[in-house]
This record gives sequence, structure tokens and C-alpha cells, in this order.
Amino acid sequence: MSQDSNETAPLAQPPASLDTAPPPPREFSPSEGKAWGIAVAGWLLPGLGHALLRMWGRASVVFVTVGLLVVVGASMRGNLFTSEGNDAFDTLGYVADLGAGSFYFLARAVERGGPDVSHAGGDYGTRFLATAGVLNLLAALHAYEAARGRKA
Amino acid sequence: MSLLSPLNLTHIQSFLLFAAVISLAFGFLGRRRPKDRVKYILWSFFLFLLVGIGIAWAMYPFSR
Repeated sequence: MSQDSNETAPLAQPPASLDTAPPPPREFSPSEGKAWGIAVAGWLLPGLGHALLRMWGRASVVFVTVGLLVVVGASMRGNLFTSEGNDAFDTLGYVADLGAGSFYFLARAVERGGPDVSHAGGDYGTRFLATAGVLNLLAALHAYEAARGRKA
Repeated sequence: MSLLSPLNLTHIQSFLLFAAVISLAFGFLGRRRPKDRVKYILWSFFLFLLVGIGIAWAMYPFSR
């Protein structure tokens, strides 16, 4: 289409000024659904979100770092919070721990002796486990942003 | 009975391990080029040490 035809073509709607124009409705595009799927995959299995985007280096580092933090935390007999917390801090701890996805349930399966926070090591282990979850949530968010083309 | 062998790390060992692992993850997630990643990892690790030891020194007068 030439430039002249653009100038003479009738407009379907009169142009609205920038001040009064309503924002365009936000639609759920297939790429956004894919990005959400990648984020959920990255949460369920650390590194899977980046692996689906073929970011192999990031995928392997996320998998190793989150896995290492979980293994070290569980080996130090850190506290893995459950949904039956007594206060808000327990609930926050549960949310942080659950961020590790499948690794949370793996840690619960292998750590049958339960937590032992009577010594400092157990307390450090609790922090390692919570950090693993939060780090995995951060990685899943990064994969979501990368899938939407906002980050690379 | 735990399937994992118990691990006993000192405070400083835990601190160093934590700083190294998180710095590695930050470097790979935050930067794209390998050279930038190395610089970011080292800088992040250094800041972890600086802040951690700084807080430890700041708390020292209250420990006794």
C-alpha cells in the first residue's frame, strides 16, 4: 500500500487524543500462556524453565545451586516447614521452602529424622532450605521474563 | 533415620558456601556474557563477604 492511499483512506474511527484514549485491553496471548508454562515448569523442577528456552548454562546452574542448597540444608538437619504452621513466620517459611518445587518434597522424603535446630548447624540448614526455595522462585521469574522477551 | 549423612559446617564454612553458591546463581541469571558473569560473580561474592563480616563486627560489642 502506497503512502498516498494511506493519506486518503477514510479512518474507521476518529483519532482520540492521547490524554483521553483508554488503554488497549490486555489480552492473553499464546506466548504469555507459554511463558506461564515455562515459569511453572521452572518452579516444579529447578532449571527446567531455562532448559525449555535452551538456556543450558543457566538451567544447569539453577539446578545445581538449588539442589546443592537443599542437600546441604537437609544434611544439616534444617527445618522444612509444613502447611501446619503455628504462626505467620512458619507460613512464610513454608512458602519459601515450597519455592524449591519438587526438591522440597525430595528433601522431606530423604530427611526422615526431622529437623534439629538445637544446634547452630540446624539453624543454618533452615536458612539454606529457605534460600533454595526463594532462589528457585527468582529463577522461575527470570525464565518467565525471558520467555516474554524482556530479558535474555 | 535420615538418608543423608549429617553435615557439620562451622559458621564461616556455611557463610562461604552460601556466598559462593548464591553469587554463582546471581552471575548466571544476571549476566549473559561469560566475562561479565565472572566479574559479577566475583563482585557479588566480595560484597557478601564484606557485608557479612561488617555485620559480624557491628554485632561484636553486643555479644558479651
